[in-house]
Amino acid sequence: MKNMEKDKDILKIGKYEFKSRLLIGTGKYPDFQTMKEAADVSGAEIITVAVRRIDFNAKENLLSYIDLDKYILLPNTAGCYTAEDAVNTLMLARELDVFRTDLVKLEVIGDQKTLYPDNEELLKAAKILVKEGFTVMPYMMDDPVLAKKLEDIGCPVVMPLASPIGSGLGIRNPYNIKIIKETVSVPVIVDAGVGTASDACKTMELGVDGILINTAIAGAAYPVNMAEAMKKAVEAGRQAYLSGRIPMKLYAQASTQMEGIVF
Amino acid sequence: MKIELNGSEYEVKQNGITIQKLIDELKLDIKSTAVAVNKTIVPKSSYAEFKLNENDKIDMVTIAPGG
Repeated sequence: MKNMEKDKDILKIGKYEFKSRLLIGTGKYPDFQTMKEAADVSGAEIITVAVRRIDFNAKENLLSYIDLDKYILLPNTAGCYTAEDAVNTLMLARELDVFRTDLVKLEVIGDQKTLYPDNEELLKAAKILVKEGFTVMPYMMDDPVLAKKLEDIGCPVVMPLASPIGSGLGIRNPYNIKIIKETVSVPVIVDAGVGTASDACKTMELGVDGILINTAIAGAAYPVNMAEAMKKAVEAGRQAYLSGRIPMKLYAQASTQMEGIVF
Repeated sequence: MKIELNGSEYEVKQNGITIQKLIDELKLDIKSTAVAVNKTIVPKSSYAEFKLNENDKIDMVTIAPGG
């Protein structure tokens, strides 16, 4: 039987192509050096960052820990509660030369406690940003109807949450994620909620195209080791999905043949 | 003259200082700095000509940790 061609398994987001299906954030690490080492072992090609006022008293600069030739920086709109704020944040980010692509992570938050996105504002902001020429990667509810709308207005990827940001609850509604994957033809990247490697693996086994992880790595007791675990989990989950798992059955199916048995 | 820089009062020696000169004075890397004046984004190409006025509210941003 022919082997699966793993090298040709490419993640396409708009006009961009990636080998790694793990995207990571840069927030909440104990220090920048740990963030750098975690990013390096994760194999991620895209790393997310926020856009914030310069702290003139800061002793260290995040940028000095990021190799811009190695990573694509993805600006996010974390903390934005309206379409207007999110659009303005990314228009401002566009003036930063450190962003080498037009890829942006759009999030418009609707509620402080859950950090769930605001669907209407998200869609409104996405429309404006697509028209402005950005490659918009929207963080969204695990809602297949919204996923289709975002695809229709020109988002080349959708990023449903698995569970609330930073919750580590894992994938709360795998069936919705599967329906989203069947509903849209653009890639699906699960963004937020993964707690540990088994969550990442199970998520990839659903057939999604990638995962964006921050807290589960940054908040682990040993973030660099967890980054490596996540890398392996994402790869294993992807490979298992492509390999075609066996169907589940209620009763045993002998794996040893009965022919030739003596006693 | 006084301006507001990233939410704090800031005194600049030269009246009508340009954004470019303020960036130089603050020893910032222009590649990783974006500027808004009174909440209006200023394109990088205008930094050299754009003069600041008394009490202008300047926001200078860069990248920060985030997910």
